[in-house]
Amino acid sequence: MNRTSLRIVVVNTVIRAGEEGNPALAAQAERARVLRIGLLEAGYDIVASLPPDIYLPERIAQLQPDMIIVDAESDARDVLEHIVIATRDERRPIVMFTESDDADSMEAAMSAGVSAYIVAGLHSERIKPVLQVALARFKREQKLLDELSDTRHKLAERKVIERAKGLLMARQSFTEDQAYQKLRTLAMSKNLKLAEVAQRILDVEDLLG
Amino acid sequence: MGWLTGSDKPEKEEVHIGFMPLTDCAPLVMASVLELDKKYGLRFVLRREASWAGVRDKLASGALDAAHALYGMIYGVQLGIGSAPRDMAVLMGLNRNGQTITLSKALAERGAVDGPSLARLMQSDERRYTFAQTFPTGTHAMWLYYWLAAHGIHPLRDARTISVPPPQMVANMRAGEMDGFCAGDPWGRRAMLDGVGGVSIPTQEIWPDHPEKVLGCSLSFVQEHPNTCRAMVAAILEACRWLDTNREQMADVLAAEAYVNTSKEAIGGCGIAFHDDGEANFPYLSDGMWFMTQHRRWGLLKEDPDYLSVAKAVNQICIYQDAATMTGTPLPHSVMRSSTLLGGAVWDGENPQAFAAAPAMCTDSVQSCTAT
Repeated sequence: MNRTSLRIVVVNTVIRAGEEGNPALAAQAERARVLRIGLLEAGYDIVASLPPDIYLPERIAQLQPDMIIVDAESDARDVLEHIVIATRDERRPIVMFTESDDADSMEAAMSAGVSAYIVAGLHSERIKPVLQVALARFKREQKLLDELSDTRHKLAERKVIERAKGLLMARQSFTEDQAYQKLRTLAMSKNLKLAEVAQRILDVEDLLG
Repeated sequence: MGWLTGSDKPEKEEVHIGFMPLTDCAPLVMASVLELDKKYGLRFVLRREASWAGVRDKLASGALDAAHALYGMIYGVQLGIGSAPRDMAVLMGLNRNGQTITLSKALAERGAVDGPSLARLMQSDERRYTFAQTFPTGTHAMWLYYWLAAHGIHPLRDARTISVPPPQMVANMRAGEMDGFCAGDPWGRRAMLDGVGGVSIPTQEIWPDHPEKVLGCSLSFVQEHPNTCRAMVAAILEACRWLDTNREQMADVLAAEAYVNTSKEAIGGCGIAFHDDGEANFPYLSDGMWFMTQHRRWGLLKEDPDYLSVAKAVNQICIYQDAATMTGTPLPHSVMRSSTLLGGAVWDGENPQAFAAAPAMCTDSVQSCTAT
């Protein structure tokens, strides 16, 4: 997806009654303001700028943004945590922004959490390349996670086939090759995958002991 | 375990410890204020954090050496719920109890003042009920879910439950958008004092003497700095002991802007215990395992972990035992303890898989009180 179609939700800092004098919150609010300007100047589509309240999960579910941006020092992060866990199967990158320019802690944070990246400093021309990198990293990681899951699945299937082969070899005194051919023939005749046939054989073995 | 002699000088003297502005951060604050850290050759640098997610990330990245943490959250990180898995450590318990489930004034006015009456109201007046907790894998979430389920309310299906910061819980309740929340002291009292809450139920009704906050860190920190960790636990143990008999002074210190930043009268602690002769501090394996069973129960974990092995790896019993000996704190004779929870279930560390799968307290009004 190109940058101008990237749909972003920014989670705001809320300054509640009685907190107007809080310097940390004022700094957060200022960072958020600069960030929004920077995003708009870079041509990104800020779909919504939402408060971290009880309606945030629903709004995110309705809007389906491609990316969520939140201040690393905001208490909004715990509201987002809820969303992260609830949408585990449809993950999206959450980019955190902070004043801190500390490269070490950025690296450490990125290795600590798969879905969080830090934008250091908020000069608007820096935002675009950082978001592009964040998105690219996220996609690469998703691909790796998918590959990992795929590999695990294939390994599990392989184990099942090996066990079924072993079973046939023991019970029917087949050679390994004969056992394999037997499985293949059965799979083809029943229009099943090799692993499925193998599992059926193991299930029958369990049943009949 | 005997005395460790010889080179037990702390590997690292300056320790960065994170905390959240809640009454139960007191052990860390008082250890620093009373200079107990110096007594054990350390210097605590306390950092107030804004979110539990932030605490978690900073523990993992090393920006914090240790932190005041939700017991459940440490195990959530260990098993990779909501973040990359990371080997973590629980060095000691910081407190027992001291949390509340607060129901709104509006609910109380309609007769919902406890679990059974809430369940009745939710059946007779059907609408969407909203409850809040502080963090999806944390202690407050697990207390809230257990309590609702014990009264026949499925916390994920029969109601909307969400994580929000405690100040928002009170603000939302005031605005009529929140039916109940589970959070730590002083928030329950805050809601009652502000006339926003109708009734505040102490969490010890769910599990008398339940574990709550812990001193957490990454496992790599313990492995690289065992002496520092031992000294840290010793200093904080002494602070915990002081706290059990000095609540007035505690409130004076904690009310300050740098710490909890609220009125003294809100900081009370509903039956909170910081020491209890070491009972509140010992990192019982059964306590850690309980959180994993509840994570499994609500589908946060999709499979049963090896409950006992994980707890043995996370709860640093040896370091604690050394520190307890150094401070003259009594030690229990088992790494497991037995408790009877609301609804009658007994949890003693045995059969965690069964405990996660068959909570015995659901009534017939809901089909099942697990995630599946």
